[in-house]
Amino acid sequence: MLPQNTPANVACSELFTEVSPYAVKKEDGRYIITDGTGSVPVSLVPRPKYYGLKTSTGIPFSKISAFHGSYTVITPSPRCDFFDRGIECRYCAGNFDVKDSGGRVYSVEEVLETVDAILKEGASGIIYLSTGFSQAPDGGIEFLKPYIKAIKKHHNCLVAVETLPPKEDRWIDETYAIGADSVLYNLEIFDKELFEFLCPGREKLIGRRRYMDALERAARIFPNGTVASHLIVGLEPPGSTCMGIDFLTGIGVVPILPIYRPSTGRALRIEPLTTEIIIPVYKHLYRAVKKNRINFNWVRDLSMVTTPLEVRGLVDERDGTKKSIVENFYKSKIGLKTAWGLSTLRRKLRVKDSRDPSDSSGQS
Amino acid sequence: MSVEIDTRPLWIILALKSLRPIFFLLLAILFWYFIKMPSPEGLTAAGQNAIAVFLICLILWVSNMIPLAITSIFAIILVPLLGILTKKETYSLFGNEAVFFILGAFILAGAVMHSGLSNRIALNVIKRYGYSPKRLLLCVFLLAAALSFFMSEHAVAAMLFPMLLELAKSLKLRPGKSNYGKFLFHALSWGCIVGGVATFLGGARVPLAMGILKETTGETIGFLDYTVAVLPLVFILLAVGFMILTVLYPIDVAGVDNAGEVIAKRLKELGKVSFSEYAVGMVLLLTIVGWISLGRTLGLAAVALGSVVILFVLRIVRWKDVEDYVNWGIILMYGGAITLGSALDKSGAAAWLIKGVIGRWSGAPWTIFALVSLLTIFLTEAMSHAAVIAVLLPVVIGMAGKMSVDPVVMTYSVATPAGLAFMLPMSTPANGIAVSSNYITVRDMIKGGLIMAIISWVLFNLMAAFYWPLIGFGRLR
Repeated sequence: MLPQNTPANVACSELFTEVSPYAVKKEDGRYIITDGTGSVPVSLVPRPKYYGLKTSTGIPFSKISAFHGSYTVITPSPRCDFFDRGIECRYCAGNFDVKDSGGRVYSVEEVLETVDAILKEGASGIIYLSTGFSQAPDGGIEFLKPYIKAIKKHHNCLVAVETLPPKEDRWIDETYAIGADSVLYNLEIFDKELFEFLCPGREKLIGRRRYMDALERAARIFPNGTVASHLIVGLEPPGSTCMGIDFLTGIGVVPILPIYRPSTGRALRIEPLTTEIIIPVYKHLYRAVKKNRINFNWVRDLSMVTTPLEVRGLVDERDGTKKSIVENFYKSKIGLKTAWGLSTLRRKLRVKDSRDPSDSSGQS
Repeated sequence: MSVEIDTRPLWIILALKSLRPIFFLLLAILFWYFIKMPSPEGLTAAGQNAIAVFLICLILWVSNMIPLAITSIFAIILVPLLGILTKKETYSLFGNEAVFFILGAFILAGAVMHSGLSNRIALNVIKRYGYSPKRLLLCVFLLAAALSFFMSEHAVAAMLFPMLLELAKSLKLRPGKSNYGKFLFHALSWGCIVGGVATFLGGARVPLAMGILKETTGETIGFLDYTVAVLPLVFILLAVGFMILTVLYPIDVAGVDNAGEVIAKRLKELGKVSFSEYAVGMVLLLTIVGWISLGRTLGLAAVALGSVVILFVLRIVRWKDVEDYVNWGIILMYGGAITLGSALDKSGAAAWLIKGVIGRWSGAPWTIFALVSLLTIFLTEAMSHAAVIAVLLPVVIGMAGKMSVDPVVMTYSVATPAGLAFMLPMSTPANGIAVSSNYITVRDMIKGGLIMAIISWVLFNLMAAFYWPLIGFGRLR
């Protein structure tokens, strides 16, 4: 955990970390992160207790979920059909590479038990459901629907959903209507040619244009700042990433900029960018988000990759290190409940079921 | 689930949402005021309460803030609660003959539709006569009208709609653009509307009107008498309506061969005529004969329900086959409307209203007839047909007595025009179904509907003035 309660996921086993100037050390019983010239205090996020427990069917909760501090990721089906077709994204770490009959689909009951345990312990306030690519025109939301509905039925928690963009907008509307509080359609790469090259499956079966249209639609449906899309820094020129930032913020989407970490054994080997190249991109991100008046508090709890809020200190030195009262409030337990309440109220106001079952009663 | 997301600014949505509680709060205040205000001269306390209930129901029926049936239930609660009628009187009015006639008609229509008989008749008529573009349109128009003589016009529209949609697609008509498409779906809705006023069976509104008439005056109108009185209007409106559509939407297709293929395919799917189709057809025929010959002595409801019993005794239909066709909402609505009409009459409120408000028109019965029918035609565009009857008829019947006008004639002035709603999709389900095809826009419907509404009113009054005296009916005393 970095200062200001900023969670970070520190790579340590990948090859590229061998040349990293940073190291996590323990000094006087406390952890610090240092580059040899200076240091900042950090802390280790304790392993949640529920990780040691199992579902009633005997599956460890740690297998179903991945704890990330403020949010916990649950992937009910660890499958992505891109792998079956050999058109997976070239940079993919392979988490969904379970080919053919591999990869068990967790039942709604198993996922619900996991969520029960997470929330009971108070480990995270947000449940992040994700799915890989499937042939379905809905982008995967029909598969996640029973999970979302069950979680929303039993718990007052926020739910974020990461799927592929559906073929038709009505599925985006449905994603919001069934209870998702946030949605992510990860474009990953903005440059057209690089997108085609690095994401052959996405290009062939979904299309870059559809990503953009779906994100634009989602930004009109979901609350300000709850629609996000990853743009991976390091897979395309920084200028292209900045153009992606401008496009996404222009349509009301929060860009999240993870830095590419080449996985051991993957075909795509790109040297990580230096800090000098990366920092201007993040500054651009912060300014673009501010300029388009997008609320970026929400995504900070949804990502351990860099979001606009983390780079505030680089740009806005005046209040960069201070969190506002509102931010602090929404980090608290009562704040999370309030966020859930407001999100639910907004949904209640916005969603209209086009079936009108009763009002024609008596028409003749 | 089919969802729609309202993307308007939240403050607008919130403001609109808050209108509903504000509406009900204001309604409650208004109701309280009407009840508690000092009684005007000549009006009893029960009469004042009856008017208050009537006004509240009027507002709820017009605004459609709650389903019409629920408004009726609300009236049934309020009438005994405010001492207008006793509990026994109130609830017994729900057992009115008209309510049971409607129930019987629903079950009969359900049996006809479930057996597939209505679908087969429709397909065969179109196959036989609809071999050119114009004849196909005429065929649809007349078929919709003819079927609405015997079944609820809503049921006819719902039954023919999928077939017409398929025809339109097979002819490659462009939704919203094709004249032929507009004509085709106007033919459906107008045919149903015009045909629906021809008999007691086209909709449940005429039986409701008869129920109110009987409850307040003891008089009634026979099945055949009603049809004889309005049939010329129906024929003329069908001719005029077809001419208007021909002028508004000149035919823009060369042939209808593709439509023939669709019909042939549908007919093939139906197979040979089944026993249940024969049986239901026979029972329906006997029912109509029964209504004509025994309607006055046995009552229309008894004939309808008798036929229903026969259907079940002979095991021609099962309850689960027809229960979906019984619109309990309408039945509840009618029960409440009859109760309310009776409450206005028995409490003296109707008489007081007429004396104080409309009494000044006493010298011009034809003016009243014309104005009431005009008011009905325009109200029915915005309100349910049944609600228009429930609102207007008790007052109009009371007024008839005061003006020395035959209340039976005044019943026609509301009952018939109440079915002539051509202008808006919300006016009647037939219009809503036609617009849902996307071949007709609301603007198209208003354009043709306005012309048709005005012509209908003129023709209805001309018929009352010149045709009714010829058949010895409708003398305005």
